[in-house]
Amino acid sequence: MSIAGKKLTGSAPAEPRPSGSWALQLLFRHETLLLLVLVVEWLLFYHYGTTTNRRGLVVGFGTLDRQFDILRHSCEIGLLALALTPIILTAGIDLSVGSLLGLCAILFGKLWHDGGLSIATAASLTLVIGAGAGGLNATLITALRLPPLIVTLGTYSLFRGLAEAITHGAVTYTDFPDSFLFLGQERWLGLPTQAWLFLLVAVAMWLLVHRTVFGRSFRAIGFSPEGARYAGLPVERRVALGYVLAGLIAALAAIIYTARLGQAKADAGTGYELFAITAVVLGGTSIFGGTGSITGTLLGVAAIAVLRSGLATLPVVLRLNAAEEMSGLLTGALLIVALAGSVLPKILSSLGARRQAG
Amino acid sequence: MAVTPPQPLLTLRRVAKNFGGVRALRGVDFDLHAGEVHALLGENGAGKSTLIKVATGAHTPDSGEIIVGGRSLSGLTPALAQQLGIACIYQQPALFPDLTVAENIGLRLEHGRALRRIDWPARRTQAATLLVRVGATIAPDAEVGTLSMPEQQLVEIACAVGAGARIVIMDEPTAALTQREQERLFTVVRELRAAGTGVIYISHRLEEIFALADRVTVLRDGESVGTHPVAAMDQAALIKLMVGREVSQLYPPAESPPGDVVLALQNTGCAAGGVRDVSLEVRAGEVLGLAGLVGAGRTELARVLFGITPADAGEIRLNGQVVTIASPPEAIARGIAYVPEDRRRHGVILEMPIAQNMTMAIHSRLFPGAWLRDGAERTLALDYVRDLAVKCAGCDAPGGSLSGGNQQKVSLARWLATKPRVLILDEPTQGVDVGAKSEIHKIIRRLAKEGLAVIMISSDLPEVLGMSDRIGVMRGGTLTAVLPGGSDAHVVMATALGGVT
Amino acid sequence: MKKYFRELSVTAALLLVLLLLAVVAPAFFQPQPLLSLVTREAPTLVVACGMALVIICRQIDISVGSVFSVCSVAAGLLAAHGWPLPLVILASAALGALLGSVNGGLVAGLRLPSIVVTLATMVTLRQGLNLVRQGEFVNLPDRVQWFGLSQAAGQWTLVVLALAVLVALGLAMRHLAAGRQVYAVGTNAEAARLAGIPPQRVTFLVFVFLGALTGLAAVMNIVQSPQVQPLSGAGLELKVIAAVVVGGVAISGGRGNLWGAFAGLLLLACVSPALTHLHIEAYWEKAIQGAIILLAVVADGIRQRRGE
Repeated sequence: MSIAGKKLTGSAPAEPRPSGSWALQLLFRHETLLLLVLVVEWLLFYHYGTTTNRRGLVVGFGTLDRQFDILRHSCEIGLLALALTPIILTAGIDLSVGSLLGLCAILFGKLWHDGGLSIATAASLTLVIGAGAGGLNATLITALRLPPLIVTLGTYSLFRGLAEAITHGAVTYTDFPDSFLFLGQERWLGLPTQAWLFLLVAVAMWLLVHRTVFGRSFRAIGFSPEGARYAGLPVERRVALGYVLAGLIAALAAIIYTARLGQAKADAGTGYELFAITAVVLGGTSIFGGTGSITGTLLGVAAIAVLRSGLATLPVVLRLNAAEEMSGLLTGALLIVALAGSVLPKILSSLGARRQAG
Repeated sequence: MAVTPPQPLLTLRRVAKNFGGVRALRGVDFDLHAGEVHALLGENGAGKSTLIKVATGAHTPDSGEIIVGGRSLSGLTPALAQQLGIACIYQQPALFPDLTVAENIGLRLEHGRALRRIDWPARRTQAATLLVRVGATIAPDAEVGTLSMPEQQLVEIACAVGAGARIVIMDEPTAALTQREQERLFTVVRELRAAGTGVIYISHRLEEIFALADRVTVLRDGESVGTHPVAAMDQAALIKLMVGREVSQLYPPAESPPGDVVLALQNTGCAAGGVRDVSLEVRAGEVLGLAGLVGAGRTELARVLFGITPADAGEIRLNGQVVTIASPPEAIARGIAYVPEDRRRHGVILEMPIAQNMTMAIHSRLFPGAWLRDGAERTLALDYVRDLAVKCAGCDAPGGSLSGGNQQKVSLARWLATKPRVLILDEPTQGVDVGAKSEIHKIIRRLAKEGLAVIMISSDLPEVLGMSDRIGVMRGGTLTAVLPGGSDAHVVMATALGGVT
Repeated sequence: MKKYFRELSVTAALLLVLLLLAVVAPAFFQPQPLLSLVTREAPTLVVACGMALVIICRQIDISVGSVFSVCSVAAGLLAAHGWPLPLVILASAALGALLGSVNGGLVAGLRLPSIVVTLATMVTLRQGLNLVRQGEFVNLPDRVQWFGLSQAAGQWTLVVLALAVLVALGLAMRHLAAGRQVYAVGTNAEAARLAGIPPQRVTFLVFVFLGALTGLAAVMNIVQSPQVQPLSGAGLELKVIAAVVVGGVAISGGRGNLWGAFAGLLLLACVSPALTHLHIEAYWEKAIQGAIILLAVVADGIRQRRGE
């Protein structure tokens, strides 16, 4: 009697695919709407955040420098958001990426500074460690079938705690060579150097999620883990891949973070998991798994980055002199709104169905 | 002296219910009197479960009337049904596994303010009393999660008894019970009847119906084919009513002699999966039907062969080679395909497009190096859409947009694409409309002709009889008989029911 | 015996740590420092009781730290404005309940996953507080500290208050129908619905309850010092979740009790002094907390798999 199964998602219409009237469907895609919001947001900041200073120079949001700055600052969170997209597609979650960023930053600094390794060797080792840490999450989640939420909450504390323990909460590693700082503070071929790396990862993730069987499997698992198992997909291996990749990318983000600030410290990346999750959810990836896209995530990252940076350029009255707090507050609120918006159609349709049945 | 019969406790009048294109109930009449056990009989998919869900308010009928205690109810809800004293014991008990038996019963029976004090000794006494009444030897302090399935069922029955239900519906309550537990249950049912409760009793086991029921209603294809006093019936008559329509040339005939043995099982078993000691051979080009009651171990055997619950005893040979099948990917690699029973949960992923569903089991072959090739995927999907005559808006339409029969074809296409040697079909035509059904039958026959070894699990007896070259009958987790194709329906049914002829 | 295995094993671990401390650092057991330690943990215990309810109901709330901070500052400001302490307690609990109802409404009403919802409210509240207060401390009038009593009397009051909350809630969870409904919803929400228990309402209420207890705990915290720190609740969520999970409350809902959570909290509370006495730096505390959470869920996971 599976015909009238009570599974809510079963009756929900699936994501529309562009076929016949592709132009209209493209317009109503989540990504298109988000792009529109992003443009409006950007124009607002451009209008209210750009001023001319006493010497007649344009300052604030509307300068090219500021735009590059936004790009530079969004790389680390952007990387974490990219890493989280496949995981959330499988209906999982990883709260530990921000903490892992901190731990990897410290380990990278320590390997280079105290371990006497070259930057390249230290960076490679850090990437391996990051992947290993992701592997720890993956093992606990797939081999022991523990809920990702509590596992990554535990490693969230563990990774940050290890970073603090290694540095005694005080040590920061500085004096990195200029050749390394070039990665985080200079431009290469016109763009901030790390943006090229970010772009590279974005393209790789896009290919992985949209053009390979891995992405296909992530979706299938997110929609129906049992269905995926019955289709003969290696569910555990695919899920594990998501978490290991997240660890690897968090390590890369740690190296870029260190290069941008010129120092490695234990509180690196604190709270980044929230921005990353928000970017992913804002980008249209369902927290219940299955639907979502890398393009959406990138737009979500852009929306948050512009917000964070734009608030800082607004006249003092508007931003209450606290851009950082304001952006955190708005990001949290934005996440709630995005979540509520994502389930609203489902709730309404189920209410309607109930009324019909009653 | 003419006695006017008392008003029935429950009357269903011309109740009809459709699911999509499937007509589950087509105007069924049914009534239940106080102090009677009314058996409901029919093959799987005949509409029994739907009828019960209508009676408990879980489904709203499309048309027809529900009358409880003389009152015609337009909108029966589960809560209202409970208030009216309708209790249903499902095969899968809805209990609290982490809590004790006493508490489970207490939570069901106690209603009142949230801030009232729980009287634990009274709860325990109440539970103990009720458990004794239903003849269960379960400690009230035992956690429900640690109980066996039949014990959990007894707890459910104790809840219904405790709630003083006037109408008790039992959906195959004995499917998992031992002989002793069964007898206790019968005593409980008889006591309920003596106390004036009306019992709707669903079972496949004819001997139970003769032992317990006063009247029996037989459902077939969503219609009632008659209500009779049990005393006026015998087994042969009942089986005839159930099987009904003649098995005729509705089914495509076998066209080729079977070839070599492809799959051979020797004492295969899986303790966790509930399968033991199955020995069986399947040849290329033959359709082996697997008949049996629900819970007889047929789906469980399929899950063993497909590596979902790997075998832990005996031997599996493929083309003469001893193999292990530890996971679905391994099964696929060895040429075993399984079209599962529950299409919506296991067969297709409803949210994903038809083409993606069809290629899901051949990722490594169709997409070398893991890169998707849309063109190849599309070509393959279109081929199968055409070949199996899938009615859809296009390859990009989500699986959930299709009718049951077409979903089944998508599921079938997914597994045919793996180019299997052994194809296991689990209830391939359940919930499928008549047209699609005969199409699926033709496809199965054609596949056998092409040299596949087909194992077809089906609870639809005419289908098993009409399609199978040989018929395996399962009972209690093992294979009890292999009958020749074209066996008499009554013989197959009797074998599946166990012993009685 | 088997049923309380988990609670007993945590208690055994606690006794072991205490024994270890008795051998290597008898100074730990001096009455005054010990009382101070217990007093410091009293507000945490109150929050842990509420968290246990939420987790038994198969949900989680990681915004408690932020709610705690917001309530602390609000209560401090009210006290500084000269409100009498009982009113401050009521107001703080009400504010906590209100914030809890936001979480509860989003989780129960919109059926959103509690982890993401409370992650969002955690940051929103924390940053909102920063925005409004800009990291300012609140100076409290003298009569607020230790409820205007002597330090020892104030400390005992707090300890007794926390224990009273624990005992009252612990008994309620066992002996009131409402408490059993939380277990019922946590173990099988669908069966609860069939038994006439409204799962969404119960879920909503446990969040409100946790909020109110957090508000109470915030006041219990600010009376311990002459000033209110702006971010006094930072990291509190991990500490209480760890305590509750270590104490045998299953993250999958429906299992465990407050006594276990209490033992878990005491065990974790002893870790930090034990570290100091064993000459391990306190910086390891967070890492050890994380490791303990992981150990606890791994143990539960293995036990569950074996049970299958």
